[in-house]
Amino acid sequence: MISFLKTLILELGSQALFLQKVLAVWVRHMGASRKLVFEQIADVGSRSLFTVCFAGFFVGAILVVQFSLMLANYDALTFLGGLNTSATVREIGPLIISFLLAGKVGAYTTAELGTMRVTEQIDAVSCLGTDPILYLVVPRFLAIVICSILLLAFGLFVGVMGSIFVAQNLYNMNYLQYIQSVPKFTDMFTVLGSVFKCFVYGIIVATVSTYKGFNASGGARGVGKAVTECAVYTNLFIVFANYVTSQLLNIFQTFWMGMQ
Amino acid sequence: MIRFENVVKSFGSKHILKGVSFEIMPGEILFILGRSGTGKSVTLKTLVGLLKPDSGNVIIRNQKDGKDLQVQSLDQEGLNLARKICGMVFQHPALLDSLTIFENVAFGLRDLNEEDKRKRVLECLKLVHLDENILNLKPPEISYGMQKRVSIARTIAPGPQYLLFDEPTTGLDPITTNAINELINELARTLNVTSLVVSHDMGCALDIADRILVLDNGGILAMGSVNEIRNSKEPLIVDFLSEVLST
Repeated sequence: MISFLKTLILELGSQALFLQKVLAVWVRHMGASRKLVFEQIADVGSRSLFTVCFAGFFVGAILVVQFSLMLANYDALTFLGGLNTSATVREIGPLIISFLLAGKVGAYTTAELGTMRVTEQIDAVSCLGTDPILYLVVPRFLAIVICSILLLAFGLFVGVMGSIFVAQNLYNMNYLQYIQSVPKFTDMFTVLGSVFKCFVYGIIVATVSTYKGFNASGGARGVGKAVTECAVYTNLFIVFANYVTSQLLNIFQTFWMGMQ
Repeated sequence: MIRFENVVKSFGSKHILKGVSFEIMPGEILFILGRSGTGKSVTLKTLVGLLKPDSGNVIIRNQKDGKDLQVQSLDQEGLNLARKICGMVFQHPALLDSLTIFENVAFGLRDLNEEDKRKRVLECLKLVHLDENILNLKPPEISYGMQKRVSIARTIAPGPQYLLFDEPTTGLDPITTNAINELINELARTLNVTSLVVSHDMGCALDIADRILVLDNGGILAMGSVNEIRNSKEPLIVDFLSEVLST
């Protein structure tokens, strides 16, 4: 247990230092790798869009199935839309999308950078007078963070559509009736909170995956180890960040409501 | 001139270089031989600042202005200059898969305009005996031997004063190995550059080296001309030589 905590703290420290380095390079050369960032956004977006939409649709659908059973017991089906949308926007949406992003894009990024490291491509880039962090890491890092927010928007939209589709076709609920209860549970603060959560998770996925790939060593086995560690640490950090961000947002919301 | 002064490098408790000192003279081809894990690649990586020595000095003389660069004390700008002076060819071709052959060779030519860039790329491809019809292909679309040649073209494109080869024939068949060895010799003579080749190919070293340095146990076991090494009685060198004779 102590050894696990020690490893976790060491990892957290190393990754925080790496994040600081990446941000410093980005700020120093802002705009220098714009073309590469757009290329990476197109790459990450196109690779993840279908998966996110597919997962989003069924997340919405599953929540309708689960909530409708409970709400029907209390004769409160009119709240299905609000409750469902709130759960999707607040929690399930950002979390599922981040896990998908970690599994698909995070693992891919670690494997790609890791292979570049063990086949000396990163050293070659350095030797040709280019900073590999600027050329290889910053575009991937920014693309993951930006895409996590864009994909959240798509995922949430499709999730809500999925839940309306299932509510209307399986539970004979009018879509207008479904939508009516949404504002009671989901306001602008909820949506912004969701964006904030996704932004934080995006930074986690981007940092862990680029760090693990960039520092991989030991041939194919080393790349495999880096990818596994990327998956483990991303999920651990996201779950922890979920608790922290949820608490923070609750405090902000209480404060905000008190002000009003 | 490149000079190593008492260079020490360890990884944790593993001592790789235990105070290595030697000098490379302008225009010569120096081969560094040794068994795996004796610090051959570490020596090259220390030279281009990819690894920092624990102690000792690595000095590179810029032949253009005669100034000496002390690698371990250079800032990023100085390191970029040192890396421009010392072109390094890696064990793997290390080409960027997302770029075309043209873009790979032109990677270190940021200061040139498009026309000059193209001219220089074609010139370098010709030097490594490659045709211009591969320019728009991606690295996975050409053979491994061709990728090695492209990586040499990429290294010579910025016009380095020193060429460093890290096990350039690893993973190649005997015919391509001979072709690459001939190419190293040819480039050193044509471009009049100083070459440092890390290898465990004694046969090739005997053919094209001016001097040979044998590393063992973190130190220099022997250093001398090809004839001196050929006549050495050191058991490791005798082993290396007997391997050459048996093939």
